[in-house]
Parts: sequence; C-alpha cells; structure tokens
Amino acid sequence: MIAVLQQLVDGLGRGSAYALLALGLGLIFGVMHLVNFAHGEPVTVAAYSVYAAAMFGAPWWALAVVAVVAAVLTSLAIEFAGFRRLRAADDFTLLLTSFGIAVLVRAGFSMWVSTTPRQFHRPAWIFDTVRAGPLALEIYDLVVIAVTALTLVGTWLLLQKTMFGLALRAAAEDFDAARLMGARANRLIAGAFALAGLLAGIAAVLILMRRGQAEPDMGLDILLPGLLAAIIGGLGRLEGAVLGGLALGVAQSAFRAWILPNSLSRLTEAAVFGLIALLFIFRPEGILSARRAERV
Amino acid sequence: MRERFLAPTVGAVVLWGVVVGVASIAAALGTSSTNTLVTQMLIDAIVVVGLQVFIGNTGMLSFGHPAFGAYAGYVVALLTMPVSRKLIQIPDAPWGLAEAEVDPTIATFAAVAVTLVVGAIVGLALVRSGASSGAVAATMITLAFLFVTHEIALNWTDLTDGGGGLGFIPRLDGRLPIVLTLLVVLLVGRWFAESRPGRLAKAVREDGLAAAASGVDRVRPQMAALFLSVLIIAVGAVLRVRALGSMTPSFFYFDYTLLTLAMLIVGGRNSLTGSMLGVVTITAGIEFTRILAGESVSVPGLDWLLRPNLSDLFLGGAMLGFMLIRPRGLLGDWELDHWLRRWIPLRRRSAPGAVSDRSGRKHILEAKGIGATFSGFRALSDVSLRVETGEIVGLIGPNGAGKTTLINVMSGLVPGHDGQVLLDDEDLTGLAPHDLAARGIGRTFQNLRLFSDLTVRENVEIARIAHDRRGHDIDVDALLHAAGLTDVADRRASELDYGNQRRLELIRATATAPAFLLLDEPTSGMGEAESSAMVDFVRHLAGEIGAGVLVIDHDLHFIVSICDRIYVLDHGELIASGSPDVVRNDALVRAAYLGED
Repeated sequence: MIAVLQQLVDGLGRGSAYALLALGLGLIFGVMHLVNFAHGEPVTVAAYSVYAAAMFGAPWWALAVVAVVAAVLTSLAIEFAGFRRLRAADDFTLLLTSFGIAVLVRAGFSMWVSTTPRQFHRPAWIFDTVRAGPLALEIYDLVVIAVTALTLVGTWLLLQKTMFGLALRAAAEDFDAARLMGARANRLIAGAFALAGLLAGIAAVLILMRRGQAEPDMGLDILLPGLLAAIIGGLGRLEGAVLGGLALGVAQSAFRAWILPNSLSRLTEAAVFGLIALLFIFRPEGILSARRAERV
Repeated sequence: MRERFLAPTVGAVVLWGVVVGVASIAAALGTSSTNTLVTQMLIDAIVVVGLQVFIGNTGMLSFGHPAFGAYAGYVVALLTMPVSRKLIQIPDAPWGLAEAEVDPTIATFAAVAVTLVVGAIVGLALVRSGASSGAVAATMITLAFLFVTHEIALNWTDLTDGGGGLGFIPRLDGRLPIVLTLLVVLLVGRWFAESRPGRLAKAVREDGLAAAASGVDRVRPQMAALFLSVLIIAVGAVLRVRALGSMTPSFFYFDYTLLTLAMLIVGGRNSLTGSMLGVVTITAGIEFTRILAGESVSVPGLDWLLRPNLSDLFLGGAMLGFMLIRPRGLLGDWELDHWLRRWIPLRRRSAPGAVSDRSGRKHILEAKGIGATFSGFRALSDVSLRVETGEIVGLIGPNGAGKTTLINVMSGLVPGHDGQVLLDDEDLTGLAPHDLAARGIGRTFQNLRLFSDLTVRENVEIARIAHDRRGHDIDVDALLHAAGLTDVADRRASELDYGNQRRLELIRATATAPAFLLLDEPTSGMGEAESSAMVDFVRHLAGEIGAGVLVIDHDLHFIVSICDRIYVLDHGELIASGSPDVVRNDALVRAAYLGED
C-alpha cells in the first residue's frame, strides 16, 4: 500500500509536466487544428534563458519568472512568425511547419550555444525529502503537484469565467465557426498560444529545477510525452489532456517499479509508448474521448 | 491499359538516367569523399522513393518510415556479421544469432521479410486510427514507432550492443547494385502511382469522404502504398548498412527522418521527379553549407553564420521556408513523363457512344423509421421514404430540417442511427459508405467534394475503376461528353468554374453505375438558367443509366417542376408526402414554407 502511494506521488509528479504541455497542445489544437510540434521549443528557450540568467547569479524565484516570460514570448513568436501566414493551410502543411520550427530552434542553439548541455544550479532543496508517517516524499514532487494543481485551477477559472475562455471553448467545440470569426480569430489564436506558452513555461520551471541543464534537443524530447498525453485524452479535449498527462506519468512509474523486470527497466519508455501506440488499435479516437462524426 | 504505363516507364528511366548522370559527374570531378557522398545520395534517393510512395500517394505524414530501415538494417547486420566479431560484441544475442552467419543475399531477403511484418503491425494501427490525408493520429503513431524503435535499439544491448552499434558487416563492392536498385524502385514507384491502388489511394488523399461515396475502400489502397514503401525502404536500408559496413541506432532515427523528409518536400512530395530533384538539391545544399561552415572558408562579416551545424539550420530552414511559401514543393505533382507524353504518340479515342445501358432493372431503395440524434439534438425522428428506379423523388424542407442528415444516413455516413436502410428488402443498415456505393447508392455533396488536385478525367475514372470488378460498362468519355467537359478533361478539377464542378461531381457519382443517385442541392449557388440546364442534365443522366434519383432542394418551385413524388421534412419529421400537386397544397407545408397558419 505504501509502495503504491509512493509510486503514485512519483507518477503524478512526473505526469504534471506532461499534463501542462498536453493542455497547451490541446488549446492550440482547438483554435487552429494544429498539432504543434514546436510546442516543446518554449521549454528549450526557457531553459537557455534560465542558463543565461543563472550566470548573473539570479535566485531561483527570479529564474522561474525568466523561464515563464521566455516561454510565453517564444510561443507568441512562433505563432506570429509561422502560423499567422497559414490560417487556411491543410493539416499536412501545418504539421510540417511546426516541425520545421522545432528543427530550426534546435539547430540555432546547436550553432550559437553548443550541442553539449549547459549546466545551471538547482534549488537547494531539490533532493530533500520529508517523512509523512511511513512515506518518504520528495519535496520536489510535492512542489510540482501543488504548482500544477494551482495552475490547473487557475486555467479552469480562466476558461469558465472569462469571455476569452468562453471563446476558446467555443472554438474547440466548433472549429469551423471559430474560423469564420475572421480578424477576431487572430486575437483568439494569439491568446491561445500565449496561454499555452504560459503553461509550457510553468512546465519548464518544474522540469528545469530538477534537470539543471539546457540542451538543444530538449524541446523535441519533452514534446513526445506531452503529445502522447494529449492524444491519450483525445486531442482538443482539455480535461482529457490533463488526465492523459497524469495517466502517462503514473503508467511510467508503475512500469518502472513493478511491471518490467530489472534487466529491462531501461526499456520503460519504449514499453509505455509502444503500449500507447497499440492502444490506438482499440481506441483510435483517444482513450478518454467520445467518438465524433465528421460533418458533411 | 498498357498505354497508361508507357509514358511513366519512359519517364522513370529518363529520370533515373538524369540522377545517375548527375551523380557520376559529381563522382568523377570530386575527391574520394565526394565519392562516398554520391553513394550516400543514391541510397537516400531509394529511401526517398519509398517515402514518396507512401506520403505522396496517401497524403499521410509519416515521421516513422526511417524506423522501418532500422529493422532491416539490424537484421542484415546481425545475420552477416562474422561470428568471431559477434562473440566479442554480442555473445549473449538471443535465438542463436551469435553463432549465425548468412550470405548477404539471403540476409537481405530476411531483412525485407522481417520489416514487412513490422510494417503490417504499424499498418494495422494506421488503419484502425481511421487515418486519412493529413491525419494527426497517423503522424503520431509513426512518431511513437520511430521513438520506440530507437529506444529498443539503444537499450536491448544483448542484441544491438547499444549506441555504439555493430560493425564489420561485409561491404558492397562498387555502386552498381545501388544504381540498379534505384532504377527498379523508380519504375515501381511510378507504376504504382498510375496503378489502380495508387489512383484509389490518391482519391482518398484528396477527399476521403468523396472517395468512400464513390465506392473506394480506403484501407486496401493505403495498405498497398504502405507495404510497397516499407519494402523499398527496407531494401534502401540494407544497401545503406552494407555500404557503410556498420549499423547504429542513430542511423535511422530523427536526423535521417529530417533529412529524407526535407528531400521529399522540397522537390514536391506528390511527384517522384520532384523528390529526386529534392534529393539532389538537399545533398548539394548540405555539402555546400558544410564547406562554408568548415575551417577553410572565411567570409568577413558572416563568421557568426558560418559555424558547425549550419546544415541543420539549412534543413530546418528549407522545410519551414517551403511550407510557408510553396508547400507543394518545387514541382508540385509534375512528373517528367507529363512532359515526355507530347512525343509519345497515343491512339486516338473513338467518338463517345452511350454512357451505359443499364435501364430495365427494377430496384427499390427504402428508409424505414430513421432517427438520428447529435449530442442531444434530435435531427431526425421516425422518417420513412422510398425511391424506385426510374423515378425522381424530391426531398424538401427548410434549413435544418434534416434533409442532408437523411441522405447521410442513407449513404452510410451516420453511424449509430435508428431505423433501417433497405435495398430490394436487403438490410443495408450499418454498412460503410464504400460498401453502399458498391451496392449502387451514389451521391453528391452539398458543398462540392471533388478530388481537387486530380484531373477531371481522373475524377470520373476513379469512380469507375472503384467498381471495375463488378463489370459495369460505364463509358468515361461518354460521361465527360454528356457533361460538356471533354475539352477540359485534362485540367485539374479545382480549375473548373462552379457550374462545371457541379456537373463533374454529378458524373463522378454516375460513373459508379448507381441504381440510385442521392443529390444534395445540385443547383445550389446557380442562377435560374443554369439551374434548369442542370435539371435537364440530371433527368438525362438518370434516364440513361436507369437510376432512381432522390434530390434535395429547398426551392419548392424547382422541386415541383422535376419530381414525380415529393417528401417534406420539417424539424426532423416527415410532415407531408405525395405528388407535387398534393404537397403544394398541403396546409402544413405552406405553414413551414410560407409562415401561413
């Protein structure tokens, strides 16, 4: 029982960042039918910004602010430089455009910074644990879960209680109607990218506190679990994205702890992702999503 | 039929000659490192042909095709590595592989066979995901496949020796096998695009729903494209591994996906000629950036740009730039043989005769107690109607009355509705759209769904060949002639004006030799004169193939003028039916239409 709880906390901590990324991917998918392969890049830029700011000896609360701001700006820049020109483009073009952006950002950091990781300091408490009865919980996991919970509540309030949130949800429900809104769609889409960037920025803070380094590949590395989480939940379904992220994190912890023998524990990622890909054979529209018919 | 393949065959051979010619000149002029580069380029060309066969014909974006190469590469590496070497690197390899050493030719067959099995598994996932053009799920499955394959290669060290990879694989002598393989795959790739499955796959790529309504089962052509592409990539991968004499997890991972995809899209993913142009352009571009970024070149003021990894920036930039400015690549879907065709004499077609002679058979199409609900909204409740061959039946009602939904139900597009659809008392409820089309139910769409990038003739031909095996003798030329589209038959469907597009959609539906045509607002957006010409055309076509017609419109006068009987829907319910006179004078109909009480 205790071991289960321990793994659950571990899995939720791991899955939190996935959930935040998946939520952002879902928001963007909702407003422009784009699976944004460049959605990991705000995290990459945030990481290098943190690396730069850390060189000036900034404390971690300031680094967190830097990361979030960098992520939001990056997300907006991606929308403005890439997708604003492609409003009427087909899915294929949109997918490859986002992929091209991701490749460019990766190449840029490889060229102008380095292909090898750049280190920065982690918060001092990052590996500390607290005991709660028989449980030994990492402070890091608790911080991650708390921050994620707050962020999700904030996002939920934004989506439920504001006009902007209403417009976003309406767009996710009926993409064609949203497209007909014309000029206002630009503001809505930019808003979705900003919000997605904010969520990615918070995810970046959670990831970077632990990783303590920036590298050119990290955006694409982080993107894959986020994307899978979004798809497990059914793309465009926001609650689904969050649940998908958490489920993926818990599944990874469970696989590592119990399901795979020790000798194969390095194949955890392969096993979990392979299993998810196989799940598509049985639930192609997402594990949590309802089937929706195409309009004619 | 043979004529169809003549120009593509000549085109593929010429294309091969050009690519190999360019490669040979470069190899002759350059150093030994150029020589390696040229070999690499020719192998990449084979892999890109494999990508084109899948991505070009199906319109699905795959990031995972290089991973098929990983399976082929490891099989060939594991089977041909000398045992002495295996005992050092992978003594614990499973299945007795550590003691096996096989002739490279046999190993190649084994590699292709294993890769095809893997392809079947991925294919099953793609089919089940309902993949169609630009489908996100398909792309994600291939991405997960790429990632999982790489993780396995990296971590199953007993078999693969991890990231450092396997070496001492017997190498190819010379480039001849590569050059000949390229010729074969170019021919096969080009033939496939012109073959029945290739053309059906392209129809699905252009519009999956319209293809289904024309009787095309998307699964078989898509899987044909997948298996052929997997086969080509497996062969390409074997050549790559044997040219290099080693195999590592990173050979067929992300960077190779990036490289081959860039090659494919820069030239034009829908064209083999284009993809070969892309292979040469990207190879030259990368080599050029590599030289620029090297130690030996220094341009004042540009040092900030000329740094290592410039080639990645070039690849990303090429991909992004083309997507933003010219998403269809340099050549779009132009093939060398389109141009060569001018010099290849073709037999003249004889003058078109009758479209078909199918009249005389009697059929009855019935909908019984149809109901449909969408997220709580009752779109149809308990609607029944019947159409017989030879008659024209109207379906009218105000906007939102459920007319289109009813036609969607009858053509298989609404899963999980209530009630039954019967053809001659046979229950067709729940059949897929392409099955219904195959049983003789053709349809058009309210907002035109053509195969936009295919020619006018191809639009019609696809509908006909989807039914080839049933032995209907619909004459495509006669149909084009009847619609007045003979002169524009080789233009793209998207280039036609609106009225011609409507007529094209109608003859495409007719080309499936339907017993029943379901027409959703065939005159929508037309002026009066054009509408009445359309009405005559519908009558004429239906008469010639002896079909029954169910036609939707909300213009009461129009419907009254052409129909034998009329059904009236309002708020999802049938409120009247009967002859035009009866319906015109019905109080409920007048209320629904004219607001009379």
